[in-house]
Amino acid sequence: MPESARTEYQEELSNLEASGLGGLDLVSTALSRTMEAVEHQDIELAQIVVADDDRIDGRYLEVHQALITLLATQSPVATDLRLISALLHVLKNVERMGDQCVNICKVIPITGNEPPADAEMVRMILAMGTQTRTLISQAKRAFAERDIEMARDLVRQDDVVDDLNRDCFRLALELGDDADKREWAMTMLLAARAIERIGDNAVDIGEQVAFVVTGLFREFEDASHPEG
Amino acid sequence: MLGAAGTRRDAADAGQAETTGETPVTGTSSGAATVPVGRGAKTIEAKDVNLFYGEFQAVESVSMSIEPNKVTALIGSSGCGKTTFLRALNRMHELTPGASVKGEIRLDGEDVYGAGVDPVQVRRLVGMVFQSPNPFPTMSVYENVAAGLNLNAGRMKKTEKDGIVERSLRGANLWEEVKDRLDKPGSGLSGGQQQRLCIARAIAVEPEVLLMDEPCSALDPVATLAIEDLIRELKDRYTIAIVTHNMQQAARASDVTAFFNLEKSGRPGRLVEIGPTEKIFTKPDQEATEDYVSGRFG
Repeated sequence: MPESARTEYQEELSNLEASGLGGLDLVSTALSRTMEAVEHQDIELAQIVVADDDRIDGRYLEVHQALITLLATQSPVATDLRLISALLHVLKNVERMGDQCVNICKVIPITGNEPPADAEMVRMILAMGTQTRTLISQAKRAFAERDIEMARDLVRQDDVVDDLNRDCFRLALELGDDADKREWAMTMLLAARAIERIGDNAVDIGEQVAFVVTGLFREFEDASHPEG
Repeated sequence: MLGAAGTRRDAADAGQAETTGETPVTGTSSGAATVPVGRGAKTIEAKDVNLFYGEFQAVESVSMSIEPNKVTALIGSSGCGKTTFLRALNRMHELTPGASVKGEIRLDGEDVYGAGVDPVQVRRLVGMVFQSPNPFPTMSVYENVAAGLNLNAGRMKKTEKDGIVERSLRGANLWEEVKDRLDKPGSGLSGGQQQRLCIARAIAVEPEVLLMDEPCSALDPVATLAIEDLIRELKDRYTIAIVTHNMQQAARASDVTAFFNLEKSGRPGRLVEIGPTEKIFTKPDQEATEDYVSGRFG
């Protein structure tokens, strides 16, 4: 067998990885627009994000199908098999991240055109968005470079998002008795929660990096047993 | 256990009777027959085995253990020495003119190349199934299965022989298909049936180990899967080693996989890695193994 055996298959797998990870760029764009929509109460931009989620879903379906075909026709094993398994997980994470952007964009109209916005709360949510976009790009790079340390560092980066999420909650409790303001704050907590989940999905992608490299799947942090 | 012919069998049979408490088979083919119980699977241990064809060294310093009640697959590209190694395990390698062996091969602790060991007895305890089904063409189905018995057991009662033939054919999942044509030529069976006939012939003499050299390479996919199912059943009673070029077959049918490779062309084959099949096909330790099972290199 020549050293260049199975080049087409290898090339296709490589292209599918690039395409699957490219879904993270789509998510990053969606999150950026979502944050802009939150900041400016831009309902039209929010609607664009909702409509554009079809592209993320389409990417999911397209790459997922192609990976299943590779499994059926090429009998991948070892590293190739681990990569395909990991990509199937990553695709699901990407699709969920896109859905969380949609969830946020769907609540923006509820807050009204001129909501009783609290500047500090908005600032914290935007900070969460910025930090989460860093997580997304770091997850993509860690996967592409098979860098476990970079993947593991996602946990530390995600802690920043989690802390901001808790701060949002505390602030919401302190916003006073005004019914409109409380309703707005509740809605913003939904947005904060959605961003926090996007961060978790980025950490999940990091765990898949470790699986591709080591063949072992371990959660970086066990949410059920945080002390262990 | 590997003494001269004659005493060897008596000792083995006595041992079996002690451990299983079964009476010797004297039944007829009345339907009560069960599959052969065998003597019990045994470990084959190879230690620093070097194999030669004249001056040419085909296999270099292979040490590995083939465990009982497991299927061990030997994989590797053509010419890497895996079949030569397999044939050394039951002393068939030495049948090639000029061939020689250095190192130790132990069956259940006893050196199969030890002084005074009868190679015919070794081959009886360590049976071989070949690449192409090779039933004796002029013999009937029945005679094919009984062929080894005639060689090994001297004179045996017809009823006893009937029982062993039936149990062996049942053990090879062939009985139902051939019970009404036991007197027809074995060569009249389909390829898959012929291979199962050869397996029946191999297990009729109640070996401890079954070696299979690409047993499915001449068979269609359905017959191949039937043989793989059979291999899984047989491992409950025997130690099984199988050489295969079909990596998916190794992945499907074996518990342990050993990867052989040539350092480069003209060099002897060597064992690169041996481990649980699941590990070899998901996260092998050696890059050469990874490249081979992924189909990237020959």
